[in-house]
Amino acid sequence: MQRPVYSLDLSPGLRLKLVRAGFRFTADLLDLQPAQLNAEAGLSQQEALEVLQSVRSERGGDEGGSLTALELLQKEEEDLRNIVTFCSQLDSILGGGLPVGKTTEICGAPGVGKTQLCLQLAVDVQVPQCFGGVGGQVIYIDTEGGFMLQRVVDIAAAAVRHCSLLVEDDEQRVAMETFTMETILSNMFLVRCHDYVELLAELHLLPDFLSEHPSVRLLVIDSVAFPFRRHFDELSQRTRLLNGLAQQLITMATSREIAVVITNQMTTQLRGSQSQLVPALGENWGHAPTTRLLLYWAGPQRLAAIFKSAGHMDSTVQYQITSEGFRDADQSEQPQRKRPRTHSIQSAASQRDSSC
Amino acid sequence: MVVLRGGMCPGLDEDLVRGLRAVDIKTVEDLVSSDIEELAQKCSVSYKALFAIRRVLLAQHTAFPVSGADLYEELLSSTAILSTGNPSLDKVLDSGLYTGEITELSGGPGSGKSQVCFGVAVHIAYHLKQSVIFIDTTGGLTARRLLQMLQAETNNTEEQMEALQRIHIFRLFDVFSLLDCLYGLRSGRLQQASVGGGSVKAVILDSVSAVISPLLGGKQNDGMSLMIQVAGVLKTMAKDFNVAALVTNHVTRSGSGELQPGLGVSWSHIPRTRILLERVEEATAVSHSSLRSATLIKSSRQGGTTRLLRIHSQIQLGDTLWAWLSSSGSASVCVAEAAS
Ligand SMILES: Nc1ncnc2c1ncn2[C@@H]1O[C@H](COP(=O)(O)OP(=O)(O)OP(=O)(O)O)[C@@H](O)[C@H]1O
Ligand SMILES: [Mg+2]
Repeated sequence: MQRPVYSLDLSPGLRLKLVRAGFRFTADLLDLQPAQLNAEAGLSQQEALEVLQSVRSERGGDEGGSLTALELLQKEEEDLRNIVTFCSQLDSILGGGLPVGKTTEICGAPGVGKTQLCLQLAVDVQVPQCFGGVGGQVIYIDTEGGFMLQRVVDIAAAAVRHCSLLVEDDEQRVAMETFTMETILSNMFLVRCHDYVELLAELHLLPDFLSEHPSVRLLVIDSVAFPFRRHFDELSQRTRLLNGLAQQLITMATSREIAVVITNQMTTQLRGSQSQLVPALGENWGHAPTTRLLLYWAGPQRLAAIFKSAGHMDSTVQYQITSEGFRDADQSEQPQRKRPRTHSIQSAASQRDSSC
Repeated sequence: MVVLRGGMCPGLDEDLVRGLRAVDIKTVEDLVSSDIEELAQKCSVSYKALFAIRRVLLAQHTAFPVSGADLYEELLSSTAILSTGNPSLDKVLDSGLYTGEITELSGGPGSGKSQVCFGVAVHIAYHLKQSVIFIDTTGGLTARRLLQMLQAETNNTEEQMEALQRIHIFRLFDVFSLLDCLYGLRSGRLQQASVGGGSVKAVILDSVSAVISPLLGGKQNDGMSLMIQVAGVLKTMAKDFNVAALVTNHVTRSGSGELQPGLGVSWSHIPRTRILLERVEEATAVSHSSLRSATLIKSSRQGGTTRLLRIHSQIQLGDTLWAWLSSSGSASVCVAEAAS
């Protein structure tokens, strides 16, 4: 079976011109020169080059990105480390933290801690490798205006204190010199997007930015829901854009080896006579993230649940948010305390022990 | 010149003759010399049925030259059935995945489509000792998960590694990369993947809707033609290389709230067998049930006609893997089964 010209990655108009001129299969184009295409199909020099390039790259016969599962396993083990969340229970159900190279969605009602977890991760991704971290930079796309610098400062200070208490050898001592408040803040690239057009435009530019900043290991979008929940008369248009966005995100996550974290709001859904809270953006969007986390209140407790993951069992753990950030629920103390103000370094450090 | 008539040979009824006439196929000669694949699409009848008819007509009218390619195709068309490794699922699938055909798994997020795909890949690579091509378009595949499933099968690391080596992975996230990949496989790379281990028995595409749906809806109609391209190359690949093609698809809700496979009517003719996977519990956001149901919603095996069947079967996801993958098979459950 020959490959039809219609299946080439060319603009529809260009494909039409080729077919009209009688070029039906890529084999018909293989041995042509740009000038011939110009004469026979009326293509510009530029268009002719584009056509021939796409025909030949397809014939190139490189391995086309194929690898065996064994090779992938080696890659996962060597290059793709997880980003610890500082909540050891959450890390453990996620298989060691947030996966790099995958997309993770955090869903939840307002105020439950989605942004807190994002800010925590933006700091955590920078933990030096000798402390079991990833040692990367972060791009933080804020669509809701929820990014709070002061909060980042608190979380970062706590993370620095954690690590400094863990120092055991020279390598770690040296690493601490560049793991400071200043470097943490300068390794965060903040982008504010006001609507979905700005968001899509930003994502379009991101591959270039990532080429210039190869140490980026985390992309946060807080949230995807906000810009997409308004301004859409036609839902099919939104669905199409979101489906495209999902593919863009997983492409970036895979090819650049970054963790992509997005947040989503909740909405009420009527099923028959019952109404229930479900993640926003429609059922179809649920396919998009590799892993979906739900943060919610159960009485006085805050719970985090994996409710979809291609690699991990669904499960629920407890967490809390302290002045230092996203942490394990303190078993010894009463979990009712919703927003504890203080937390000793010691207990934070002991949690750190268990989280790595 | 022999004009086509209903009842001339098994499977060629009046309806089909009328359909063929509508696309200008009037004589036996027309039919024999036409592109069966294209024709099957145009008249929306199954490729296999048309192929069989052509074969009979060829035999009846031996004056027509039979090309070597046709004979070769016949030779290869001896169908094999690949077990999925899960007895319940095999039952729903009428013994397993048929080579030469496209089988579809559809279901909502987290319904277990990818898990079934992983399980099938592991089963073929480990138990059948054959190669598998796995095309991941959603980023859901991790080798760790495959290893986890293998570890439940065997403690022998050597065997685990060998099985992993038989699974060839493509990770691509847009339709043009997919087409490049499929045409590449079609033009010979498929056999290359067989080097160093059994031949390729299955091509798994998880998921087809992820790369097609960004092109559908709105004012775009380019998506449709690309979808047909994907379908065409998948189909001929399955047929010509005698491999089982397993694809996954999203679902949509009908007006009455019933789940149905996505991608619309034109796609619905492509898979020969369609399975719908669902979480068994009412999907409240935080239920952690590992039970899934599998329902056969299309099967066109018998006589090439499409039947709507609803055969249910339940399958269980294990702690570390789908429990049904355990080699003893004892962990598998088949709680409910009903045909209507
Ligand atoms: N290691 C595991 N152990 C047990 N169960 C698991 C494991 N990994 C995944 N699961 C179960 O499988 C579910 C995910 O299934 P799967 O990845 O097949 O979904 P899917 O149908 O492919 O969804 P999508 O369309 O979003 O890709 C998880 O939510 C979990 O219930
Ligand atoms: Mg999946």
